[in-house]
Amino acid sequence: MSRLEAKKPSLCKSEPLTSERVRTTLSVLKRIVTSCYGPSGRLKQLHNGFGGYVCTTSQSSALLSHLLVTHPILKILTISVQNHVSSFSDCGLFTAILCCNLIENVQRLGLTPTTVIRLNKHLLSLCISYLKSETCGCRIPVDFSSTQILLCLVRSILTSKPACMLTREETEHVSALILRAFLLTIPENAEGHIILGKSLIVPLKDQRVIDSTVLPGILIEMSEVQLMRLLPIKKSTALKVALFCTTLSGDISDTGEGTVVVSYGVSLENAVLDQLLNLGRQLVSDHVDLVLCQKVIHPSLKQFLNMHRVIAVDRIGVTLMEPLTKMTGTQPIGSLGSISPNSYGSVKDVCAAKFGSKHFFHLIPNEATICSLLLCNRNETAWDELKLTCQTALHVLQLTLKEPWALLGGGCTETHLTAYIRHKTHNDPKSILKDDECTQTELQLIAEAFCSALESVVGSLEHDGGEILTDMKYGHLWSVQADSPCIANWPDLLSHCGCGLYNSQEELSWSFLRSTRHPFVPQTCLPLEAVGSASNLTLDCLTAKLSGLQVAVETANLILDLSYVIEDKN
Amino acid sequence: MLSSMAATGSVKAALQVAEVLEAIVSCCMGPEGRQVLCTKPTGEVLLSRNGGRLLEALHLQHPIARMIVDCVSSHLKKTGDGAKTFIIFLCHLLRGLHAVTDREKDPLMCENIQTHGRHWKNCCQWKFISQALVTFQTQILDGIMDQYLSRHFLSIFSSAKERTLCRSSLELLLEAYFCGRVGRNNHKFISQLMCDYFFKCMTCKTGIDVFELVDDYFVELNVGVTGLPVSDSRIIAGLVLQKDFSVYCPADGDIRMVIVTETIQPLFSTSGSEFILNSEAQFQTSQFWIMEKTKAIMKHLRSQNVKLLLSSVKQPDLVIYYAGVNGISVVECLSSEVVSLIRRIIGLSPFVPPQAFSQCEISNTALVKFCKPLILRSKRYVHLGLIGTCTFIPHCVVLCGPVQGLIEQHEDALHGAFKMLRQLFKDLDLNYMTQTSDQNGTSSLFIYKNSGESYQAPDTGKGSIQRPYQDTVVENKDELEKPQTYLKVHSNLVISDVELETYIPYSTPTDTFQTDETLKCLSLERNRLTDDYEPLLKNNSTAYSTRGNKRIDISYENLQVTNITGKGSMLPVSCKLQNMGASQSYLSSSMPAGCVLPVGGNFEILLHYYLLNYAKKCHQSEETMVSMIIANALLGIPRVLYKSKTGKYSFPHIYIRAVHALKTNQPLVSSQTGLESVTGKYQLLTSVLQCLTKILTIDLVITVKRHPQKVHNQDSEDEL
Repeated sequence: MSRLEAKKPSLCKSEPLTSERVRTTLSVLKRIVTSCYGPSGRLKQLHNGFGGYVCTTSQSSALLSHLLVTHPILKILTISVQNHVSSFSDCGLFTAILCCNLIENVQRLGLTPTTVIRLNKHLLSLCISYLKSETCGCRIPVDFSSTQILLCLVRSILTSKPACMLTREETEHVSALILRAFLLTIPENAEGHIILGKSLIVPLKDQRVIDSTVLPGILIEMSEVQLMRLLPIKKSTALKVALFCTTLSGDISDTGEGTVVVSYGVSLENAVLDQLLNLGRQLVSDHVDLVLCQKVIHPSLKQFLNMHRVIAVDRIGVTLMEPLTKMTGTQPIGSLGSISPNSYGSVKDVCAAKFGSKHFFHLIPNEATICSLLLCNRNETAWDELKLTCQTALHVLQLTLKEPWALLGGGCTETHLTAYIRHKTHNDPKSILKDDECTQTELQLIAEAFCSALESVVGSLEHDGGEILTDMKYGHLWSVQADSPCIANWPDLLSHCGCGLYNSQEELSWSFLRSTRHPFVPQTCLPLEAVGSASNLTLDCLTAKLSGLQVAVETANLILDLSYVIEDKN
Repeated sequence: MLSSMAATGSVKAALQVAEVLEAIVSCCMGPEGRQVLCTKPTGEVLLSRNGGRLLEALHLQHPIARMIVDCVSSHLKKTGDGAKTFIIFLCHLLRGLHAVTDREKDPLMCENIQTHGRHWKNCCQWKFISQALVTFQTQILDGIMDQYLSRHFLSIFSSAKERTLCRSSLELLLEAYFCGRVGRNNHKFISQLMCDYFFKCMTCKTGIDVFELVDDYFVELNVGVTGLPVSDSRIIAGLVLQKDFSVYCPADGDIRMVIVTETIQPLFSTSGSEFILNSEAQFQTSQFWIMEKTKAIMKHLRSQNVKLLLSSVKQPDLVIYYAGVNGISVVECLSSEVVSLIRRIIGLSPFVPPQAFSQCEISNTALVKFCKPLILRSKRYVHLGLIGTCTFIPHCVVLCGPVQGLIEQHEDALHGAFKMLRQLFKDLDLNYMTQTSDQNGTSSLFIYKNSGESYQAPDTGKGSIQRPYQDTVVENKDELEKPQTYLKVHSNLVISDVELETYIPYSTPTDTFQTDETLKCLSLERNRLTDDYEPLLKNNSTAYSTRGNKRIDISYENLQVTNITGKGSMLPVSCKLQNMGASQSYLSSSMPAGCVLPVGGNFEILLHYYLLNYAKKCHQSEETMVSMIIANALLGIPRVLYKSKTGKYSFPHIYIRAVHALKTNQPLVSSQTGLESVTGKYQLLTSVLQCLTKILTIDLVITVKRHPQKVHNQDSEDEL
């Protein structure tokens, strides 16, 4: 009877954003994400207090998935950031900080939600259309014929994750590996529709990062003894492969819903084993060199195959099935008899490989779109962080392949964008407002809130008490160290802007980021020669950043629009 | 003891409950409405402006509140719209009733009676009011809609006969709908999306069945993708199945598919049967046979050009393997809804593997345009280009949003919009009673109160409202029965001259023209007559009861029964059935599909105006009161809608302008663009009145500690 218990009434709160508790929790969350942001971001250690796994991270995906958020409004915020990260991998912290800032800034203004939401939406579309336009001054085309910009992109991602604990040298090494792994997944002779391969990350913990490497093909981990039994194999031509997805252990398959009565003395096990050995004979007569099975192979069959110099590897697991199918070109076999000859595939060669203390069975493909990235790091938590970072970088490279543009990183895009918004709202407010009911004053207010939210994101790049400046020509970001002498000679103190595109020796004028200044037109249309000469740029993924910007503004709008929160207490 | 557990069900209590609900829903009402965040017990968050969802999420405990919520959800199930308006209107009605009865109570209360006694007495009064409400809803409302309001209706169709729909008017309708349902930064986008979807799915011959299909299978026709901005939502041609291929073999050209609902591989034994294994060889042979049989079936499918196999169950590895070998793509574990949707779209019955294998052609295959994997945010789906055989061209909506809660809101709103359109595309039958007494030819409505209550009078006993002729009616009951049986015999007959004779004696002498007219109508609608047999009979009985009255209370009758003019010319819509009594007639007419009015409280203001006019002409105090209360409560809705507007667009200005326009017979000018369905509004009104009636008829709410009997029974069954 207890399960028929009446439901408890829900808790209903009006105007949730005005409550002090919500404001405090929001600002706590904001402080957490802000302090993680950028290359000099602080690390967070997450643990449950009962021992066990400790996570040291500064990445939004790891951070937010471990945080236990209870307030529904914060939940909306963190879930939308997490959803963004799982689609684009990058720019999670940017999204979270911008969203928090927007909510905070707008609340101070005291305008009606309708006006705020409408104007935020206008400003967002202004940003998006600028970043997508030809005249945009903060994006550069990605040239796939050289590795320079791609390397910059990967390096920027690696340096922005300090919890990976990489030295400069290691960063260079891992960046190159990631890029190689990515390039190996692109099919050589693709026409029209490109289907990318896959890079499998193989863990090698407690090793030097420098030992990390990329190999074409698939590595299957196994014990040394096992490996010795299988190898060496002597064959000059390619090896014929049979890949089984059904079990070869001699289980009796599904017999249906009725009953099966077995007479005394009849041994089904023997019957099945006979069947398996028949299968083995067929494989041998078909000249198969390598039998791979997702599940278990019966020891008798295994021995039979070994006797006939056929390598049998079982318990491969479901995760490797798809890459194996793709690499060897087989059709996973689900039958214990009458195998169609075109279900077999092939590999170029197999060999044993030893990395650190681990032994691997290495399948070398004929045509590689599958590769293995052996990733090493000193300890487990650092390895986890590095793995996440590598996945992010690989994903970003894929996104960049689809949309071959990159944004200037290091905060320059944001400062440039704020300069552009200020200029637009000041000089051409009618084009933004169109025929809306909002006034120009309201637009100015919201634009200021929007810009200062973006600037606060940039401001959180600096964690060591330094100052942030912006120049009045390009609208880029420049940072000064905290202990620098008083404002005497800017060009000597500043060397390069945040993204590394411009240096301070040009005739530029600077002003502090948060100081009031006149709106100016930031230089649009990036000169290509400037990009070509710069070798060490900080870059961001365009697709991820655009989506992050959209998600942040949409989520902020959503939260600002809330008039009630109904909490189900059941 | 009992009284401590029981709460008196009164208007006051109901009003208190309704006011709390009103406070919550009015914040998300109309174009300026805001969002409400709900958490589910599982910890998920949901954004909503859907009144029904909000009310359910509150998990209310108050019995009256729960009743109200039940009424709202049953209304929503039917129409998909109007939950917030429901609450606001109900609240205003209760407020009106409360105010009126407070005033009326004073003379009654001067007697020194005990509180309990007074409560029971009040309850009797509520009962009368609730009866008046029922009468209003069943007999008057339709008439006002038909005779006055209908002249203001616009049609959504550009051509009423063929029901063709132009995009701009649908856009107006949908934009107004989504204004109240999704966040204000997305409503334009979502309404455009819905519009696109509508015109992509529908052919010119589209009928109501397509709305039913989309309404029934809406869950299967959309895919939610989190982590992308809302503006990435789009419409995809074909059907997207939320499953991945078990085997995918790229194919083009002539692709045929089959649906299976059981495993293709034959099994050792089916349920209820027994398979006896006598030797190992037998086992091996049977396994071999199964293998060969599966192989043969798959080969046969291949030879019939079948390249896609949809299965509602999981297929064994063997089947998957042979499908792959034969170049047949397989999708497994499809839900029964998806299977039935596909079957409805292409009219395909499942393929049953032949028992005795023959090379015959498989009849139940269907052609598909394409079949390929679709990747939405790194998740794989099956994209199927079905060729529909019905008027529905299959398309899917991909809904994107930063969080699942927002996607659900949009999905909900789109589904509701289809429900609303489904209602809009139906004709609405209106049945009402009319009293035609005006010489000028404009008929005025009149409700013959007495007849409705003649049967209830014995139950209610002596209420506080006295009727002088009540007793006489009860006495005449015997007389009434005779003509009733007489009619019963005849109404099943084919209409003939005999029937004309049947009717004439009961019509007033001045009425011969009218009778002819009636007959004409009847013969036109011959098949309709048998359908409407029940109301016809009932109508007659009321007619006779008035006849009975006439004899006794001549002066009264003379007042009501004056000459009756021909009705056919006055009705805006063709009259389907008329049955004349001495002084009143029951009319059935219908509101054509696609009736709309401009948004912004136009319906409410119009109905308010005509109800007030009606109340002025009304002869009975109860009628006047009920009409006035309803008329005034109606204004509560535009008042909420224009809450934030000032100056020229504030509510008083709008109201005065509208009333002036109505008085001078000028067209109404609406300040807002957008249209809303009249059917929806009408259904809402009736639902609210029914709910109010329900509330008023309850006099005592008793809390019981025991579980309700029904639940207990169910439990014991489970245990068995």
